[in-house]
Amino acid sequence: MNDMTPVNRKLGTMQDLKISARGVQVYYGDNHAIKDVSVDIAHKTVTAFIGPSGCGKSTFLRCINRMNDTIDVARVEGDILIDGEDIYDPKVDPVQLRAKVGMVFQKPNPFPKSIYDNVAYGPKIHGLARNKAELDEIVEKSLRKAALWNEAKDRLNAPGTGLSGGQQQRLCIARAIATAPEVLLMDEPCSALDPIATAQVEELIDELRQSFSVVIVTHSMQQAARVSQKTAFFHLGNLVEYDDTDKIFTNPQDSRTESYISGRIG
Amino acid sequence: MSNMLIMLILLGLGVVGFFLGRGRALQVAGGDRRELHSLPVYYGAHVGLNAVVPAAMLLFVWLIVQPFVVNNAASDLIAAESASEAGDLSLIMSDVRRVAEGLDLLASTEGMSDAAIAALSVDDGNLRERLAGVGVALGADVQADTLEAAKRYRAVDATGDMLRTITVILVALAGLALSWRLITPAFRARNTVEKGILAVLIAAATIAILTTVGIVLSLIFNTYEFFKLYPIGEFFFGLSWSPSFSGRGGSSELGIIPLLWGTFYISIIALLVAVPIGLFSAIYLSEYASRRVRSIAKPLLEVLAGIPTIVYGLFALLTVGPLLVDVFGQDGALGVNWMQGGTAVITAGLVMGIMLIPFVSSLSDDIINAVPQAMRDGSLGLGATHSETVRQVIIPAALPGIVGAILLAASRAIGETMIVVLGAGAAARLSLNPFDAMTTVTAKIVSQLTGDSDFASPEALVAFALGITLFVVTLALNVFALYIVRKYREQYE
Repeated sequence: MNDMTPVNRKLGTMQDLKISARGVQVYYGDNHAIKDVSVDIAHKTVTAFIGPSGCGKSTFLRCINRMNDTIDVARVEGDILIDGEDIYDPKVDPVQLRAKVGMVFQKPNPFPKSIYDNVAYGPKIHGLARNKAELDEIVEKSLRKAALWNEAKDRLNAPGTGLSGGQQQRLCIARAIATAPEVLLMDEPCSALDPIATAQVEELIDELRQSFSVVIVTHSMQQAARVSQKTAFFHLGNLVEYDDTDKIFTNPQDSRTESYISGRIG
Repeated sequence: MSNMLIMLILLGLGVVGFFLGRGRALQVAGGDRRELHSLPVYYGAHVGLNAVVPAAMLLFVWLIVQPFVVNNAASDLIAAESASEAGDLSLIMSDVRRVAEGLDLLASTEGMSDAAIAALSVDDGNLRERLAGVGVALGADVQADTLEAAKRYRAVDATGDMLRTITVILVALAGLALSWRLITPAFRARNTVEKGILAVLIAAATIAILTTVGIVLSLIFNTYEFFKLYPIGEFFFGLSWSPSFSGRGGSSELGIIPLLWGTFYISIIALLVAVPIGLFSAIYLSEYASRRVRSIAKPLLEVLAGIPTIVYGLFALLTVGPLLVDVFGQDGALGVNWMQGGTAVITAGLVMGIMLIPFVSSLSDDIINAVPQAMRDGSLGLGATHSETVRQVIIPAALPGIVGAILLAASRAIGETMIVVLGAGAAARLSLNPFDAMTTVTAKIVSQLTGDSDFASPEALVAFALGITLFVVTLALNVFALYIVRKYREQYE
């Protein structure tokens, strides 16, 4: 794995470095879920985490916004820096961090509130709007970015749970980007969606790249190939290979990567 | 033959049928159970059920119908002129039944033969004494037609009993034989038994519903009787409750308003205590408490629900009441003289509130736990704190269930009796002062029906009117709770 480090360093210097993880270890009780993972994620790129189930890619994703803090038995070691600041520093408030590092989950989970209130939830909590007009503007902007505005503008007061699955997931994306995050984490955002909704969300991810650094966990290698510029392959808690997406899928360096993308392990 | 014995015979036939059916199934399959459509026990159960169920149903119907038939047969013998007197055929018939019962006793205890009974006549003179000797006391000498009717009654009843026994057992045997003959390897015994089980389940549900209907009907009829004796307007709108037990009648004032007011006042205080404490403890237990704390604290809290209400009543009477008097009463800690005695609305309300805490907390806890983890993750992932998540996502999502829990607690509070009797006193009063003694509908139902008042007097019958009013109120609350829960129920994925 040490032979990967020069590549990472090269990437880091090439583009703006957003997230830098060094020697991250995660334990769930006695289970060593993430083993010494170091990775650099660039700004305004889409980075995909691929790997077989249980390989730790979601766990690692949840380290980046400290969602693992909500699990009693989880313990994280190592450093994760966002813009050079250690997010596991005691001075960092995880609640504030999560506003900066938004997250979209595997299953669409809109709150049992109206579409408007779903999107306005984060801005209200963080006091991002001074008045109703500003809040309206944030909501509209977020829904437009999430490509949901045209479908939802006439029913902003309808419950978010009444939307279709793909619309719900785009609502969750709108909700996440309404707090103006710098990084957007997506944990298998399309696994509960049909192919059409998946295509819409993928298109959206590509657009979001203009403003955010997007990290996406996915089981679909086609999806990783379609949406990401960088791909990291995890296996059994190890980061096996991390490189440009094209390179991973055409010319993987590690035999395990090659086996996985050609469908022999997983 | 007694019905108990008939039932035992039926059960015996059922068991026999089971083994016969199972044996027959194996026999027609040539000993290879794979040839059969169903497992052999299903064939056995099929025969057993067919032997028992139709016969038992016939027995049941017969037991209901036979008294009417016998009554009719005997009442034909009552002379028209004695029956027409004040239209009291039913009174004479009850005499007939008692005489018949006495004759039965004579036959069994004194060994009187049927012929001797048939020869009995009112002219023997000592019939009344002889009947009194076996424990059947009659108000007057036995009339001739009454005696004849009683003899006829006995005879028809005995015939009916015998016919019943024979018919029921014949039906059981027929069911057994017919179902036994039906057995072939292709016979779908499994499906037949499935239908039988379905019938049992439907019967159970029907009994539950019919019982409710029966309770309501009995309330309605007695309430109707009450309103024949007491004006309906004064009952529902009267501001005073002062029943007279002197028996003079007419001087009672039976207005429900003071009682309803007491009920609602005490319930409201109880809910003011129970809802915040119960809800907050539910939030703590489900959202913040560690697994260890939760595993200890939740059962401890639920112990409260297992305490009998009479114990809460004693607690109110002996502990809470005096304690409140020490604070709010004369020479109390606050130096105010608001509270005259330990029994008061606030005493009962506080203790009832404590009783209701586990209802609110336990149900709310389950409901909060049922909110999907994805909701919490979503909110926390947006940078909300734990309490913001609880306030703005979890509670709104759980609200319908929580409202349901609160309304359920309210129904309990309205129906509660013992705590009120011991804690709030017995004085029906319309007052806003929570330190006054008041009473509730339930407590008054108890006091109207205990004691030796005439059961046909308005003072006693008012209990049924109170009962049905209470029933309607709690029913409305429950329907409202269901409506709230349905209307605002959130559809989770």
